[in-house]
Amino acid sequence: MDTVKLAFRNLFRNTRRTVLTVMLIGFSLTALILTDGVMRGMLTLMVENVTGTFTGEAQIHLPGYRENLDVDLTMDNSDEIERQLQQNSSLKSYAPRVVSGAMVSSSYNVSAGALYGIDAQREQTVSRVRQAVSRGDYLSGEGTELLIGHSMAELLEVDLGDRIVLTLSEANGGELAQALFRISGILDFGMRELDENFIFVNIDAARNVLGLTPQQTHEFVLSFVDPLDAEDPDNALFQKLNGEGLEALGWLDLNKEISLIIELTGYTSLIIGGILFLLASLGVINSMFMSIYERIYEFGVIKAIGTRPSAIANLILCEAMLIALLSCAMGIFLGFAIGMWTSTNGIAIGEMEFSGIAFSNNILSEFHISQFTQFPIYVVLLTILAAIYPARFAAKIVPSEALQRSL
Amino acid sequence: MTAVISTKGVCRYFGDDDDTLVKAVDNVSIEIERGEFTALVGPSGSGKTTLLHLLGGLDNPTAGSVELSGTNIAEMSGAALSDFRRDHIGFIFQSYNLIPVFSAEENIEYIMLLQGVEAAQRKRRVAEMLEQVGLKGLEDRRPNKLSGGQQQRVAIARAMVSHPEIILADEPTANLDSKTGIALLDLMKELNEKHNMTFVFSTHDEKIMARASRLIHMQDGLIEFDERK
Repeated sequence: MDTVKLAFRNLFRNTRRTVLTVMLIGFSLTALILTDGVMRGMLTLMVENVTGTFTGEAQIHLPGYRENLDVDLTMDNSDEIERQLQQNSSLKSYAPRVVSGAMVSSSYNVSAGALYGIDAQREQTVSRVRQAVSRGDYLSGEGTELLIGHSMAELLEVDLGDRIVLTLSEANGGELAQALFRISGILDFGMRELDENFIFVNIDAARNVLGLTPQQTHEFVLSFVDPLDAEDPDNALFQKLNGEGLEALGWLDLNKEISLIIELTGYTSLIIGGILFLLASLGVINSMFMSIYERIYEFGVIKAIGTRPSAIANLILCEAMLIALLSCAMGIFLGFAIGMWTSTNGIAIGEMEFSGIAFSNNILSEFHISQFTQFPIYVVLLTILAAIYPARFAAKIVPSEALQRSL
Repeated sequence: MTAVISTKGVCRYFGDDDDTLVKAVDNVSIEIERGEFTALVGPSGSGKTTLLHLLGGLDNPTAGSVELSGTNIAEMSGAALSDFRRDHIGFIFQSYNLIPVFSAEENIEYIMLLQGVEAAQRKRRVAEMLEQVGLKGLEDRRPNKLSGGQQQRVAIARAMVSHPEIILADEPTANLDSKTGIALLDLMKELNEKHNMTFVFSTHDEKIMARASRLIHMQDGLIEFDERK
């Protein structure tokens, strides 16, 4: 008859209390697994929206360009940069862009907008501009085609085939230039900023209006074979490009708000986990004390017949550990079962925009190995920690006093 | 004869000031020799149980010394005292106090587990004790499936299985009918004679007292008189 066997039998002396305690801890673990799963799913959705829609996983500019989008700050050796990008095996694809602020005019209205000249073919490998075409056609790569967000189209009261006049400042001179484009497609990104402000034309046409040569580019957008490479500011490609007087940044640096949200999400999980386990720990302490008070006479007896105080403490800790293990089994099972459902069917959040990013899809919760390894280990450790106080109390019971008490 | 139990001026007081001070045991000096079958007798509140607790190291004396087999247990504490009780003293309590989740066999075996006795020897000694206390065939029953008398027999077996020098019993027959009580006391007496163990038990039952070889009468924490038969 070892301590574990005795502890196990003791647990079922009051089955109802043990089951309630196991449920309390088990549901806390389930809640933590699901919360973490949903948080991870939300972050994945957020990151996919951020990197996949338009920003890309990383970008290259001239230093200072991002601060005020100065049209004069062009990378003038695009061929050389592209040669380096082609040779880099960590990259899956890349696309050049030219960018300028522009006055967008129709026959009926006028609006400020951001003009993006894009390489119609390569842009498809780094963003979802093509997928965002809700009506009409994507760019063919030639001519004066133009894609416009549906919100801006409504403001300008234009539709497919209508003409748009872009007025902008040429690079390196500041002379005003105007060009006529024809709407070939209406875009719906589901992101207010893009739908209200962005227009896309072929890169050659944009360079032509801005007075740029084919070697001049404002921005390269990158997509990595392993997306995690983009999150490492010290990766070799970034280091090399930054050493050549360029500014290569991953999406975390390009979207400081999102970095902050990710960081806050980590703290949120920690706080939720902390609250859940504080409550569960109080439940454990209460349950263990109830159990000890019910058996105080018995502890007096086993101590009287020669059980060491440390053995009594070990017995209580062992009972707590068994409760924790049973709770983990329950929490893991429920967490996995519910997690499977939410990872398949998702959690409907409706149409939501957060920090300029639209969430229209269901959030699919995600499993992670830590949910089924680290979290249960925390549960066992915290439960045992919570049982230390009752265990010390039981170990210090004075036999002569305990033998005079009964409940 | 050698004194197995020896107390010198042992006192146990409860309360802090003169108004609340209770002298449960007051300046008691006794010597009990090996193999004696001694009854502590006296009315409720006379200090029998407190003295038994002091003799068993379950409580610390306010003053005086308690020597068991030449060791002053009043100076011991913690694990050392637990180990001493485990190896030298067997306890029998009024309310049987078996571990409810253990079978009769496991209750008897428990103390030998604490002592680290190897499994085969444990099983053999448990079987012997069950035979001696007349519980053969009931070894797998848990306490709630045993009568009061049977539970107290298990408690006696538990106290004796490790062959302690001293058995302390606090009103071991108080919760039993007189017939069962006398039968159990006869069993204890038989084991006392067979194994030459020293028995000290408290009682206020006249029939039980008649079987003791020595009676120590207590009143208000003091020894009123001590008679050997």
